[in-house]
Amino acid sequence: MSANLALIAVVGILVAAGVTLVLERSLTRILIGFVLIGNGLNALFLVVSGPAGAAPILGITDEPMSDPLPQAMALTAIVILLGTTAFGLALAYRAWQLTGTDDVQDDLEDDLIRRRAERDLASATFDDGDDTQLPDEAYEGSDQ
Amino acid sequence: MIDTLLNQLVLAPVILPLLGTGLCLAFGRLAAAQRLISIIILSLSVAAAATLLFRADKYGPQSFNVGGWPADIGISLVADRFSALLLLTSSIVTLCVLMYSIGQGIVEFGRDTPLSVFYPTFLVLNAGVSNAFLSADLFNLFVGFEVLLASSFVLITLGGTEARVRSGTIYIVISLVSSALFLISVAAVYAATGTVNFAQLAQRIPELNPDVALLLQLLLLVTFSVKAAVFPLSAWLPDSYPTAPAPVTAVFAGLLTKVGVYAILRTQTLLFPGDQAKTLLLWAAILTMVIGILGAIAQSDIKRVLSFTLVSHIGFMLFGIAIGSELAIAGAIFYIVHHITVQTTLFLVAGLVEFRSGTTNLDLLGGLARHAPLLALMFFVPAMNLAGIPPFSGFLAKLAILQGGAADGTPLAFAAVVAAIATSLLTLYAMAKIWNRAFWQPLGEYEADTPVPLAPESAGGSLYGGSGVSTMTQRETSWTEASEDARLPLRMALPTVALGAVMLSLTLLAGPMFQLCERAAVELSDPTSYIQAVLGNA
Amino acid sequence: MVFLVTLHFVAAAGAPALVKLLDRRAFLVLALAPAISFSWLLAPAVRATSDDPTYEQYSWIPGIGLNLDFTLNTLSAVLALLVTGVGALVLVYCAWYFRPNDPEIWRFSGVLTAFAGAMLGLVLADNLYVLYVFWELTTVLSFLLIGHNPERRANRRAAMTALLVTTFGGLAMLIGLVGLHQLTGTAQISEILANAPSPSTALTVSVSLILVGAISKSALVPFHFWLPGAMAAPTPVSAYLHAAAMVKAGVYLVALLAPTFASTPGWRPTLVGLGIATMLIGGLRALRQYDIKLLLAYGTVSQLGFLIAVVGAGTQSAAFAGLAMVCAHALFKSSLFLVVGVIDRSVGTRDLRDLSGMRAARPMLFITTVIAAASMAGIPPTLGFTAKEAALTAFADLGADLGWGGWGNSALVGIVAGSILTTAYSARFVWGAFANKPGVEPCTPRDFSPAFTAVPAILAGFSLVGGLSGPYLTEHLSTYSSQFPAGKHHGVLTLWHGLTPAVGLSAVCLVGGLLLFYWRRPVAAAQHALVDRLPLPEAERGYQLVMRGLDRLAIEVTARTQRGSLPVYLGIIMITLVLVPGVALVQAWQKPAIYLADNPLQLVGATCIVTAAVLTVRSRGRMRAVLLLGVTGYGTAILFVAHGAPDLALTQVLVETFVLVTFVLVLRRLPPFFSDRPFNLSRWVRVSIGGTVGLAVSGFAVVAVNARSNTPISAHWAGPAYEYGGGKNIVNVALVDIRAWDTIGELSVLVVAATGIASLIFLLTDRSAKTERPPQIATADSTSWLAANLPEQRRSIVFEIITRLIFHTVVVYSIYLMLSGHNSPGGGFAGGLIAGLALMIRYLAGGREELDNAAPIDAGVVLGLGLATAALAGLIPTLVGGEVLQSAIFDVSIPLLGELHVVTSVFFDIGVYLVVVGLALDVLRSLGSGIDDHIETENAAAKAQVNS
Repeated sequence: MSANLALIAVVGILVAAGVTLVLERSLTRILIGFVLIGNGLNALFLVVSGPAGAAPILGITDEPMSDPLPQAMALTAIVILLGTTAFGLALAYRAWQLTGTDDVQDDLEDDLIRRRAERDLASATFDDGDDTQLPDEAYEGSDQ
Repeated sequence: MIDTLLNQLVLAPVILPLLGTGLCLAFGRLAAAQRLISIIILSLSVAAAATLLFRADKYGPQSFNVGGWPADIGISLVADRFSALLLLTSSIVTLCVLMYSIGQGIVEFGRDTPLSVFYPTFLVLNAGVSNAFLSADLFNLFVGFEVLLASSFVLITLGGTEARVRSGTIYIVISLVSSALFLISVAAVYAATGTVNFAQLAQRIPELNPDVALLLQLLLLVTFSVKAAVFPLSAWLPDSYPTAPAPVTAVFAGLLTKVGVYAILRTQTLLFPGDQAKTLLLWAAILTMVIGILGAIAQSDIKRVLSFTLVSHIGFMLFGIAIGSELAIAGAIFYIVHHITVQTTLFLVAGLVEFRSGTTNLDLLGGLARHAPLLALMFFVPAMNLAGIPPFSGFLAKLAILQGGAADGTPLAFAAVVAAIATSLLTLYAMAKIWNRAFWQPLGEYEADTPVPLAPESAGGSLYGGSGVSTMTQRETSWTEASEDARLPLRMALPTVALGAVMLSLTLLAGPMFQLCERAAVELSDPTSYIQAVLGNA
Repeated sequence: MVFLVTLHFVAAAGAPALVKLLDRRAFLVLALAPAISFSWLLAPAVRATSDDPTYEQYSWIPGIGLNLDFTLNTLSAVLALLVTGVGALVLVYCAWYFRPNDPEIWRFSGVLTAFAGAMLGLVLADNLYVLYVFWELTTVLSFLLIGHNPERRANRRAAMTALLVTTFGGLAMLIGLVGLHQLTGTAQISEILANAPSPSTALTVSVSLILVGAISKSALVPFHFWLPGAMAAPTPVSAYLHAAAMVKAGVYLVALLAPTFASTPGWRPTLVGLGIATMLIGGLRALRQYDIKLLLAYGTVSQLGFLIAVVGAGTQSAAFAGLAMVCAHALFKSSLFLVVGVIDRSVGTRDLRDLSGMRAARPMLFITTVIAAASMAGIPPTLGFTAKEAALTAFADLGADLGWGGWGNSALVGIVAGSILTTAYSARFVWGAFANKPGVEPCTPRDFSPAFTAVPAILAGFSLVGGLSGPYLTEHLSTYSSQFPAGKHHGVLTLWHGLTPAVGLSAVCLVGGLLLFYWRRPVAAAQHALVDRLPLPEAERGYQLVMRGLDRLAIEVTARTQRGSLPVYLGIIMITLVLVPGVALVQAWQKPAIYLADNPLQLVGATCIVTAAVLTVRSRGRMRAVLLLGVTGYGTAILFVAHGAPDLALTQVLVETFVLVTFVLVLRRLPPFFSDRPFNLSRWVRVSIGGTVGLAVSGFAVVAVNARSNTPISAHWAGPAYEYGGGKNIVNVALVDIRAWDTIGELSVLVVAATGIASLIFLLTDRSAKTERPPQIATADSTSWLAANLPEQRRSIVFEIITRLIFHTVVVYSIYLMLSGHNSPGGGFAGGLIAGLALMIRYLAGGREELDNAAPIDAGVVLGLGLATAALAGLIPTLVGGEVLQSAIFDVSIPLLGELHVVTSVFFDIGVYLVVVGLALDVLRSLGSGIDDHIETENAAAKAQVNS
């Protein structure tokens, strides 16, 4: 089975664009990126479903039909993406409501540990054993 | 009639929770009704899973072609020993966590919403996990993942506090990426083989050019590794799990990553037998174990420590899978079951600590052994189990994996054995640190001589106010009224104890349990029975 | 024997209750567990020591060789009797040691009893892994016992140190055990010992790893430092764990393996060398202690070194002497520790500088101590003496027995030196505890029950009896040593065997020791000077450095791997995706078969998608980006059309519109432009990562497509789809029938997503959260076309009229589309989406009242009904005997729409329809009305501020 260059190009570009956006910090951009990727993957499913053909509906024409299974899968994927995108938008709104921006923040606990690393500190829970040497006769003895 | 029903029992663990979800939503405003429905539904799925396990063990893999379509057309669900075992474990764990969250009064969330949130979502989560365990169809596995992910999105952002939105965003974006990877892999697999049915794939993939087969294998491996939190794809987990409400974190830690591990084990044994990826897997296992546990040592919050041990111990399972001998696989399966129960129990206990003391931050905790001896016991036993202290199940499973590694004999396998041993020691160290700080050390002993925490500017204020974990803490204490009184609320303690009992039963019944795992491993290492169960003897 | 071990654990479990009942007297009851075991074991022990061992086996996990094998042979019998006997006495002792209603003993008593059980199990185990199980149990339980009083930081640290050091050894040992198991094929110890594996590197490695365990457990150099710290534990614990029981585990293990493995390369030099080194270091340290308990602790370290050296030497006579020494040591050392306990309790100090006049005050205790100390120093007629003489004789012949020559003698010198130190610190102990010291006024000890002192007295008494019953012991103990090849002489325990060198050596030890004690000041000073001159590596500091280094490593590694930044994590994932499967891609790459396009339309679609995509990435405005995004979406729809996928095209268009509206609803609140703060990843890094990923994915696609090996399963769908699924539109049949299972999952995703959206918009955790407004249906006599309350400038009459006119038509059409979808493009999704869009129009035209007007129902109900319908539509066929999601076909005629070919799966489609509508409704309620409310409240607040 040979590959459809136009579609593959679409896949490549959409995924590339999508990934570029996903690596951003603004949640809106990230979501836009995902919708792009999603469209790219729909196109990908066209690629894998082989050559184009008539609509897979019986009794319309006798031409060879396009492969229905990838279409079904793509359709499911589309709808799932719809749901998650909507949720993501609600999340972006909530983030904006709380912080005044929809930029994804860094994790703070990790930041703390990084600071400890910069200052060559041990972990906060480290029990450094500078235990007091119990008095024993050798040290006494030396005093006299 | 009974037989037809029994044949279709495979669907129950998925369809029942979905029905329950529908009902819960319909009864949107009656928390009590929802509670009842959820409990009944989950208890039923436990029963169903138990029956499935029994039948799968007695009569071989239980399969069902949805809609009566022949397997090579429609979707089939299969419960072999491995699936059924994980199914049973997960449903029991989910039930316990449900009880716990009822006790915690998490339902309060739902009150003011147009549609109540927790119960329906929780049930859907359960359905998704079950579906992932049962599906014998790559794309349907994807759908199962989406179902559990979507519900996990909702659960992890439950309440939409700042911390949860931040960590939830990380979790959600990463999950979306892994879903995208999954779709790419599915497309590639279908392109190469023209099917997504596991059994057919098992037959067709060997016919492919081995390089292409390897490509497909690695694609799926990367996809699932993100979900299973395998290093270097694991860093998202400790940043996202700890801020969620205790029961949610518990069930996530217990189940979600294991679904990824399940997918790896299933695809590696069924679709890609042979050791093309062995070296890769072993390296991943070693790094996951060691780097994960080092992370745990660096933390100063119980939930985060536990999250890192979670990552680290995924490495043990990966180790077993990589070795691939029947013994090692059996060990890995046993370890999965063990880890689901123990990790969930520990997070529930962490929730109890939080409930009692208002925080899980080790710098603010202390004296619990004296003032809450029961809680201390409830932590100590699972903690030792996690650390692989004999005779608990963690040790037994690990021992099997170690023997597998030693028998393998390659230098890399020995390296993995050493790494596993080191990880066990460090896990013990991490647990002992928690024990020392939260349970033994008198409350506030160090407040004098601990250096003032280095507060990041971004946190805007004190470490604890700013840090994700404890923002959540303040939040939770605000909605758990009882948090002031020192007594443990029985409604939360009992489910925890119950789960602990399940965990210990793995030790007490280790004999039959391990034999079951061995039988499951045998089944996995020879896919024919699975293929037959799906495609019939054709 | 299993019964005896379990008995202990049962007792331990009951301990807290007992303590509640009897307070500290509960110890007397608990003491029954070891006492019963002792008496039960007596008879079989005697049989075992006359070469008639008992075996007991239960299968547990044969798969990993973990079976409950137990045995009672000479060695284990002797140890078992010590463990149970001393255990029982110590428990009795506890009944007086602790103060009445001590709040902690309920825990302590349980743990201590459990420990006794674990220890018994350890010595009886005949299976490598069972032994390991009990081994680690003792470690963990001792952790709890050492930390009995965790308020003191030092105690906590001591407990942690003991735990980590011994577990480290234990885990090293575990590898060794696994190795041994692999080499011999069995995990049963007696079998392994019976037929030893042929020597090999693997064997040497395994055995030495096991020795690491033994050495760390028995606190030999370089692990010795944990034991003195462990003295933080209550004195009975020290007496039991750190004298009689746990620390003996290492000695036991060595003794157990010696008969077979003593000849392993490195075994003898290591054990004898380390043993003697430990003996000397411990002895020297003991000589300088003020705390008599610490003095004993270092004494124990020293003695353990001695024991390991003797037991590990692996000659017949040495093994014999070693076993005797084990008994002697257990007796006198536990006795002495208990004496310390008595003194501590009755005087309140353990510092020998404050102790004075105790001899006069406590004559009985003094005598006890003298006997025990005599046994420690090896003074007749105690067991310590006879055993030590046996040891000295054995070492005198060591060179001959092993052909070691000079090394044997130097070993002999070593233990003689050690013994001199032993005598010295024994003397120091007796002097320190009981002598009258000038300038210190005599202590006035508190009174206590005679039973309290009886226990150490009994133990001391046994040291005496043992010394006198040499012949008997000789006969029974030698059944153990007879496993070794006969040496130059047979070991015997006797008070006098003629003028042998051993007697001379004993005398040397005695005199030298007393002299050392007499010159203790100068000796101590010399020691100190030595320590200062050449600062020897201090093991404890080493341990602390390791721990600190470990912790720093953890911090550094975590700081590097755990960046906490989402873009970094995503970047890593993407790079992994490119690298890992990328390698395979490169391998699998061949000249692929490629063609440009199926038809021109594809090219059209492709071009506009590509341009739009690039522009989307470049756009800085939110709306602009979203609109361009829409273009790519519709472009994809074109591709679907061009490919012959009408259903996809239809759904794609509708979904894209839906998404656009949703974006707009949210973006109206967000700032118009993307914020421009510095990113972790520079722009070009992002672009290049994106580019490579895009390339990689296309590459995967090309290779995979070219590799197509088989006809797709869907090739045969046409027939069944019609006959069995009853539909002409194969894609739709696939969705609602063939792959209905996917669709069900997909529906639940939508339901959950809707749930989550609502939960995020209506602030759920805040008690203060405002509830959703109940739907308000506008009154019929509304003057306007719509029940809109939008401000005039935002209203457009035309829009409103059109909306009202088309709404119902659109809804009806959507229903038709759903019903007919089975045979022509359409179906539940398309229908539901269209209805949803109709609602959106109503909302956009008339605001939220209008929405409530159009759909006066809770989104949750619609979603719930939808999901339930779909699920039931699947289940119903089962109830009528069919299978889940199977279809039944029948025809009905519907007015207006004409003949309709209905399949039960239509009900499934209805479920789909409802869910999608529910989602739309939910989105509008939350992101529409909900956000409206937020805006209004904010405006109101703003107004209020202006007014005030």
